[in-house]
Amino acid sequence: MSGAAGGSIATRSSDPVLDPVRALPFPEAALPILHNTQLRTNVAHATDIIQAKRARLVQEKSDWQALRTAAAAIRDNVLQNLGDYLEQFETNCIAAGGFVHWATDADEARRIILDLLRDENASEVIKIKTMTSAEIQLNPALEAAGIHPVETDLAELILQLGDDEPSHIVVPALHVNRFQVREIFARRMGLPNLADDPQALTAAARAHLRKKFLSVPAAISGANFLIAETGSVSIVESEGNGRMCLTLPRTLITLAGIEKVLPRYRDLEVMLQILARSATGERMNPYTSLWTGVVPNDGPQRFHVVLLDNGRSSILARPVERQTLRCIRCAACQNACPVYRQTGGHAYGSVYGGPIGAILTPQLMHLEHAQSLPYASSLCGACYEVCPVKINIPEVLIELRAQVTDIERKQATRVFDPMYLGMRVANTIFSSAGLFHLAQRLGRIALAPFTRKDGWIHSLPSLGSRWTVSRDLRGLSKQTFRDWWSVRQKEKP
Amino acid sequence: MSATGSRQSILARIRSATADSASTTPYASLPRNYTHSGSQPTAAVLHLLAERLREYDADLIECSPADLAACIADRLAASGRHKFVAPTDLPAAWLAPGFDWLIDHNLTHHQIELCDGVLTAAFAAIADSGTIVLHHSSTEGRRVLTLLPDWHLCILRATQVVETLPEYFSRCGHPPALVTFISGPSATADIEMTRIKGVHGPRFLNVILVRDDLQSVPHHYEAGSHEQL
Repeated sequence: MSGAAGGSIATRSSDPVLDPVRALPFPEAALPILHNTQLRTNVAHATDIIQAKRARLVQEKSDWQALRTAAAAIRDNVLQNLGDYLEQFETNCIAAGGFVHWATDADEARRIILDLLRDENASEVIKIKTMTSAEIQLNPALEAAGIHPVETDLAELILQLGDDEPSHIVVPALHVNRFQVREIFARRMGLPNLADDPQALTAAARAHLRKKFLSVPAAISGANFLIAETGSVSIVESEGNGRMCLTLPRTLITLAGIEKVLPRYRDLEVMLQILARSATGERMNPYTSLWTGVVPNDGPQRFHVVLLDNGRSSILARPVERQTLRCIRCAACQNACPVYRQTGGHAYGSVYGGPIGAILTPQLMHLEHAQSLPYASSLCGACYEVCPVKINIPEVLIELRAQVTDIERKQATRVFDPMYLGMRVANTIFSSAGLFHLAQRLGRIALAPFTRKDGWIHSLPSLGSRWTVSRDLRGLSKQTFRDWWSVRQKEKP
Repeated sequence: MSATGSRQSILARIRSATADSASTTPYASLPRNYTHSGSQPTAAVLHLLAERLREYDADLIECSPADLAACIADRLAASGRHKFVAPTDLPAAWLAPGFDWLIDHNLTHHQIELCDGVLTAAFAAIADSGTIVLHHSSTEGRRVLTLLPDWHLCILRATQVVETLPEYFSRCGHPPALVTFISGPSATADIEMTRIKGVHGPRFLNVILVRDDLQSVPHHYEAGSHEQL
């Protein structure tokens, strides 16, 4: 790895902005990454470590399956009664001195946040890592409005200074190694003699951000949980940058997806037990904060929550896909996914990578974009097995593939698409026994020259090569079952 | 779309999406078959807490209620630090003489930042995960107090320690307005998954465990059966 220590280092392998509208289809975006050995080494190293830690802690928890069952049931209860819980949250948050805003889509959420920051005359804003703000492309909008966002999570800071994008929900810079971090920090913080050990790099980040925490008057956070019973908001973190942003500024703006609500404070007894174990392989993350509106003399005295729909309510309406919204963003599915582990997160063209991204992003895009993502999976089921809220990701992937297919085959441009043409021909043939037998006989004759002695077809010409370029095909057997049966009946004495 | 318009339209979409889910399990009947209460005796629970805190590189020592003031003075002296901040309602005996004490009567962030350390009480601790819970009362301090100073000395009574997280929630009663769960000092593993202690929060967490559980049974204490902690 030390070979990457000098010079300018490209940690990014795809389009700089993770925007599903502009992203390349997954197979095209993944291709250059598969040639980037450094990035793949970094991703494999990080995901191996998290997976091993998670496995050890799950093993020691004798009630793990009961916790998963409870967590899934609580999240389902939330989704079934979402309207009531959101109104309850809103009432209690307002009663505690907070303001609640509702945003139908990304554009409206950006406008609300920009207006709030303009009221503060803010030229800078400190941020806690929030994937939801990346989902709505908040940072470019802030920059365009002359408000500089300062990312305070170490990984997000690395990405911001390195002009890079997150590739993982929990450890967004896991594709960057220490030498690359050193190069970025040395260049952007003006520290030419910075060492490349993680201790020195972390200390540099601490010093860099300390004055920001104490001087910037407004902060933006996401939310891990909203509590309907009390109107409280909870943030789960490790570094303390979250606590800084939640405590020191005058004004705090929390951006939360509408699905983030929990019925009661007590439900955290389930969620906090599964979240850290699944996300980072810890029994509990170093800091979990919870606050309720504005508390006199403690923390920000102006508090706003922006509740974001942006496609979530339409996911809620679909019976199979609804479970997507149970997600608590632990990223265990990313770490376990054999596809993610090869490609990293950027290939998914969205801030949500890995299996959860493969089902969430296309749905947030109403299947108008990111149609290739439901296919970015081997359907092996590792994601379902590790999911602490039991989202059956393979089931949703298959449902979305069916929907993508239904959309595509009705498109005029697909009329002569070889696959859909073939499917229509197959449909006709399979509807008639006579045609089917005829096709079998013709197929046997046509494929005979390509069938090797081992009974397999290893390469086909023309269109057929699209299949055989990456897979072998079983040759047709010399005799079908029906042929064999009729011969056998005739030969019977 | 106007602000109220968005609220109405989002809620209407949610209501129509969930209209068919009326016949589902009510909240009170949700399955909760996970472990609620711990099963270990007090000594083992306290031992587990000590073990977990030390795994996080937090420091834990214990003392009897009678020795607490001396123990605090000892820890403060051992830290090599001099200027400490404290919440408004700590017992006067905890504020050991010979050190600079700032009491948090609306101190500014800057004043707190200049302190070497902070002394607070706690609301509870959870042994299973090595977690200290603050509800930010007048003995636990405002949130900023346990955030800016680099060194935190937390006084925890043994009777405040529970084994499992659900036990804490059972004890909690009415949900608090402010909570901080602290599980070891601030840390990150963002660079190559190498755990680094002390990013933005206090880098040093010290706990004094006051054995108030032994008051009614001094005989056991004298027998030394809990001294291995």
